[in-house]
Amino acid sequence: MPEAIKLYPQLTRVVSHFKKYDIEVPKALLSTKAQKPDLSEFPYPLPQRKKDYTCFCKGKGNVMWYGSNGGVTRFDPDAQSLTDVVMHFSAHRDLLDNNVSAIVPDDENGVWVLTDNGATHIAMVLMSMEEKAERLLEESHKYVARHGMYSQKRLSEAGNLKSILPYGHSDNDGSFSSAHAMGEIFRYATLKRELGDYHEDTLKARESAFRSSEANLLLMFIAGRGDGFVARTYLTKDEPVPDDGLFYKKNGATAVCLNTTDARNKNIVGLEVKADAPIPDRLRKFYADEGYEDTDITYKGDTSSDEITHHYMHLLVAHEFLGREDPEYDELLRTAAINTTKHIIRNNFALREASGEYTTWAKWNLEYFNTPGGWADACLNAGQMLMYLKVTMHITGEQGIFKETYDELVEKGYADLTYKHQDRFHHVSLQGGVEDRVEIMYGDHMLAVLAFWGLCTLEKDEELLDKYRRAFRSWRYSLAPEYNPGYDFPYFLSDPENAKPDPEKVRAWFYRFNVSRLAAKVSLDKRRDIPKKELMGGYYETSALLPNDERFIAKYDRNPLEFKNEDSGGASCVEGCYPYTFGYWLGRYFNFIEEGEN
Amino acid sequence: MSKTIKLIGNAHLDPIWLWRWQEGCAEVMQTFRSALDRLNEYNDFVFTCSSAAYYEWVEQIDPQMFEEIKVMVKKGRWVPVNGWWVQPDCNMPSGESFARQALYSQLYYYEKFGITCNIGYNVDSFGHNAMMPQLLTKGGMHSYVMHRPGMHENSEIPENLFWWDSPDGSRVLTFRIPDGYGAHGKESIDRKLEDINRRIEETGHGMMMFYGVGNHGGGPTKGDIEYLKANLEREGFNDMEFSSPEDYFDDIYNDFLNIPSWADELQHHASGCYSATSLVKALNRKAENALGAAEKWDTISSVVTGSKPSTERFKAAWKKVCFNQFHDILCGCSIMESYEDVKESQGFAMNIASEEYNNAVLRIARKIDTWIEGVSEPVLETRHYTGADSGFPRPVVVFNPHSYEAEMPVRMYHPSRSVTDSEGNEVTFQNVRSSRTNDDHLDTLFLAKVPAFGYNTYWLEPDHEACAPKVIDLEADFFMENSFMAVEFDKETGFIKKLVDKQTGEDLASDNFLAIPTVIDDEETDTWAHNVFKFHKVKGLMELVSIERVESGALRSVIRTKHKFNDSYLTQEFILAKGQKTLRVDCKAMWQEKFTMLKFAFPVGGAEEISTYEIPCGFIKRPCDGDEEPALNWADLTVTRNGKRQGISIMSDSKYSYDCPGAELRLTALRNVIFADHYSDRPAADFNFTDEGLNRFSYGIYLHGGEAEKSDIVKEAHLFNNSIVAVPESYHKGTLPQKDSFLYTNLDNVCITALKRCEDGSGDLIVRLYETKGIEDSKGYVMSKMFDNGFWFDIKKHEIKTFRIDRETNVREINFLEGIVK
Repeated sequence: MPEAIKLYPQLTRVVSHFKKYDIEVPKALLSTKAQKPDLSEFPYPLPQRKKDYTCFCKGKGNVMWYGSNGGVTRFDPDAQSLTDVVMHFSAHRDLLDNNVSAIVPDDENGVWVLTDNGATHIAMVLMSMEEKAERLLEESHKYVARHGMYSQKRLSEAGNLKSILPYGHSDNDGSFSSAHAMGEIFRYATLKRELGDYHEDTLKARESAFRSSEANLLLMFIAGRGDGFVARTYLTKDEPVPDDGLFYKKNGATAVCLNTTDARNKNIVGLEVKADAPIPDRLRKFYADEGYEDTDITYKGDTSSDEITHHYMHLLVAHEFLGREDPEYDELLRTAAINTTKHIIRNNFALREASGEYTTWAKWNLEYFNTPGGWADACLNAGQMLMYLKVTMHITGEQGIFKETYDELVEKGYADLTYKHQDRFHHVSLQGGVEDRVEIMYGDHMLAVLAFWGLCTLEKDEELLDKYRRAFRSWRYSLAPEYNPGYDFPYFLSDPENAKPDPEKVRAWFYRFNVSRLAAKVSLDKRRDIPKKELMGGYYETSALLPNDERFIAKYDRNPLEFKNEDSGGASCVEGCYPYTFGYWLGRYFNFIEEGEN
Repeated sequence: MSKTIKLIGNAHLDPIWLWRWQEGCAEVMQTFRSALDRLNEYNDFVFTCSSAAYYEWVEQIDPQMFEEIKVMVKKGRWVPVNGWWVQPDCNMPSGESFARQALYSQLYYYEKFGITCNIGYNVDSFGHNAMMPQLLTKGGMHSYVMHRPGMHENSEIPENLFWWDSPDGSRVLTFRIPDGYGAHGKESIDRKLEDINRRIEETGHGMMMFYGVGNHGGGPTKGDIEYLKANLEREGFNDMEFSSPEDYFDDIYNDFLNIPSWADELQHHASGCYSATSLVKALNRKAENALGAAEKWDTISSVVTGSKPSTERFKAAWKKVCFNQFHDILCGCSIMESYEDVKESQGFAMNIASEEYNNAVLRIARKIDTWIEGVSEPVLETRHYTGADSGFPRPVVVFNPHSYEAEMPVRMYHPSRSVTDSEGNEVTFQNVRSSRTNDDHLDTLFLAKVPAFGYNTYWLEPDHEACAPKVIDLEADFFMENSFMAVEFDKETGFIKKLVDKQTGEDLASDNFLAIPTVIDDEETDTWAHNVFKFHKVKGLMELVSIERVESGALRSVIRTKHKFNDSYLTQEFILAKGQKTLRVDCKAMWQEKFTMLKFAFPVGGAEEISTYEIPCGFIKRPCDGDEEPALNWADLTVTRNGKRQGISIMSDSKYSYDCPGAELRLTALRNVIFADHYSDRPAADFNFTDEGLNRFSYGIYLHGGEAEKSDIVKEAHLFNNSIVAVPESYHKGTLPQKDSFLYTNLDNVCITALKRCEDGSGDLIVRLYETKGIEDSKGYVMSKMFDNGFWFDIKKHEIKTFRIDRETNVREINFLEGIVK
């Protein structure tokens, strides 16, 4: 393991908006006379045309701030990293609008900016990366958490956290909450190692780790079908049921399929399915403590391989760090693994819905792999299935049917399928007449990371391990350009001899991550320093990956190079913090990164 | 799964080979007429044809026939393939040349036929560099058809069909023609059909079968078409249909196949082709460099001075260069007379380059403020009235066409008393022997330092008293050094006996002499050297005739050796200049040895040897197994000596062939075999030989610690091949400073290869660059006064990126087709 990359506290943008004549707004901002800067010899690419800069002020040290009709540019010639020499701030994430008419320094490292719609204080707050993680987690606890799950929440008013809607699920709660839980577990494991078992922060992290893990594990039991079926998510009676999938209202012994478009299309409205398998109290508490009964629960079905893959990796991580110190909880993890794995094996390597049909996307069998739609998916799905079996064997200590199945699938060519991803993916892209980067399902990235990280961690047979490493490598052509530590650290762990982190890129990713996950959009279309690359079908990318705080906000499911202003959750949304906390705590635990002092 | 045999009717046309281009052109006319007739006669027949150059000939000579072709293209029955000007050699053209092959051809197809070619198609080219998948995809092609090397030449490359990857991650689906591109006649067709049918059964997927009279054109005959029509459904055979490569690949994509992949180059077929006929190689290299540099300055001039860009002239010139990269031309295996045509057309291209270069830099130079108040006026007056030179320093502006700063000697054709730079600092200079015999016999050589894509002004004070020494110092030693290396020659052999890399302290000649001119016996091969991949039969080493120190001064030392072998002579001037990392060797060979090669051997010795070679927009590592290998500007051998990695790179101004038998690197400088000899029985005749007579060329020796890709070899080789240029100027007022830079990138692993105007006449600027050091991911920026700003870019290992900047400084990343074709 190479030496940990030291992450030092950084001046981090924290933005507050005001009305023009708000008492907080310094008078100097309103009275200052704008002077056009001379940027003729500016030595770096400028985000706006030189003629579009309208005003400037000097900040602390050698820092210069320039206002333009396309936002604010900060120039720090002494910045440690090239990425940080020129920073840009744009509407609406950083400014109320882009038309800057005045700019004055504050008393610290930031500036006050006057634009058409009011004033903005850009505070540059010295913040460690751990403090950023805490800040993001706090925001998620406060605004995103829903029954212990962490995906995203909608707002009734864009940009206003106070307008948060009390309900609203995500289709992929099981995925995102798993990633969140894994981040929390690694946080606990890290603090436990560094601060000891009984340090206040460790205990707080332990509680959070268990809570997020349990909330997530509940999804593997909540359907109550007794056959290992996993719910995508669930709602209580006070949350409206949207028309975007299959929902089952629990009524006691059975649950009934509600009248939604999908249910009508599948002709299963009113279908009853067993629902009385017991739910462990330890998990049930998430709605029971909120005053809900089992019969107040509506769960979402048609679960996909996305959720299942996240759940299995969560099971593995939870087993390693929580289960080993809490046998009772470990038993729940084992039960979940056994039930769901058996469900999948029993149902011909698929998740089977109440209707008797496979769910739309949770299919890992050769029949699916040999369909036109499944041919390219086969490489990832084969890896997922093998990972589920490996995880189940590992955390249960049982071999039996799991080992037999694993060997059988390897014999049938599953391991050899895993590394054909790039070939098949490129093939179907050409079949569709589109470029690879247009065809990529960015949500698959995390699935590949989890599947092959899991396999590379657990597989001891050198020949198979080589195949899984090769499979992981086959995803790097699209993973690597993102420089996402949440993808990269698992890859480095999986192939430590051949893959190493790049300190500069790792630092840039953490340093420039936003301190808030509140959607607000950026003004990328006004940038002159970032080439735009048109791919097929009117899809655009940037030629350079922008720092996190200058591009749209997304989970691990979007192309960060996409040339767009809007955050992926839309204008009225606050996202969960896992994109940062998962990578950060994973990195801390495995010693890829550590906090340094300035 | 489709198991159909796709019948690809084609006519392989060599515009030059055993005939001159006029005959090739005439054959294109006849073949195209014949193909149109066949298309009219047989409703299901499809004709496939590459090479935009041929279509342009037809358009110019027979517009009516061209219209007929347009109709057939629209119907999908005449299928243009390969979006390149010709089927070039795929090892020796530069990356920029491949970009131009695509640019001018695809835009031509787009303009004339409303299409671009999706399929690359080089069915006769003798080898294919490892960067081809990127060069093809960035030229708008997603699939590729090739033929050589065959399985008998390289059986490791997957047979039939494979994904081919280049280091940047680009890939093309590649069909390897199994048994020739021109079945003709019943017997030949049957044999190929049986082979193809067998392959379909083995692979489970369809195959293409190429038929039609070829090489000298011709195409599918009525007999062939009718025979095939009669056998489209044949007992024991898979179904057949008249088709095109595009149709074939579409079928493959619509199937679900496990196709093997390959991430290496496709070599070797004709290993002698990279050294045969030095003339054509030198012309190609010089034309590529001259056009690239001239076009950059023409573009800068158009922005800085408002001059009209010469985009159309450059297009005309590049088309000649692209044409002369045709595989049988550039590979030196055509008839002797054809190289007179090559000289003519490359001369056309290089003349355009020279004119445009000179026009552009003078336009810029004349805008530079060189006026000195109180001095310039009287000096000019004196000259105007009396014609006398006042002796006051005169300005010389030095231009650098590279994206990195250049510091190297540059020559002016008179001696000087002093040289100062634009800030008045003394500059190292030396009055050196001129190539003329009258007056003072002296030129000024001074060490110019010029920013990227920029110029710097120097002031040269003439020395009217200077005179060249009359005698040569016979007592001088044969040692020279600068801050980077020390070199010593053996008095008995004239070979290098000491070559110390001062950065590492390693003497690479500690075990063996280096730079040994070695004569290789090459009698048993043909012009291509078919079936021969190693050239190791040493006839002898050249013997020393004389050695002398020619110069020794503040700027440089020169040691001259003369060697002989039978009736052949070689003069080498070894030049080591201040601050230069490369030891330059200017060579003059009077070569008479028939059936020989001349190699310069560097048997450095050591362990863990690995050789590295420049390929278009990248490099490749190859084993040191002694195979003759193609390379662009340089090749390198890196070994472990005394526990450290040490490398020696050899670059040249015109050579493309090397070998590396173990820990020894050899530059192949000459190959003197019979023109266009295809293992003939060599009847009695007074044959002409490819490299006989006078050959002038230069090579350079560069030393480095660590691996080649970490060194400055790319930059050194580019400077070696495309030097900075000095322009004598006069006193005048101007708006430009005496030193300036118009474009640069902050990354030292990125080289800007093109700066031009967009072909669509929009006035947009095109900037093309590539990654040189094999670094996986880099982030950098380009800055330019020309668009008043700059832009960021990410770049992968060996990736080529092209940007288009409009007048509003909006920047788009595009491919070789400049965003004109979507």
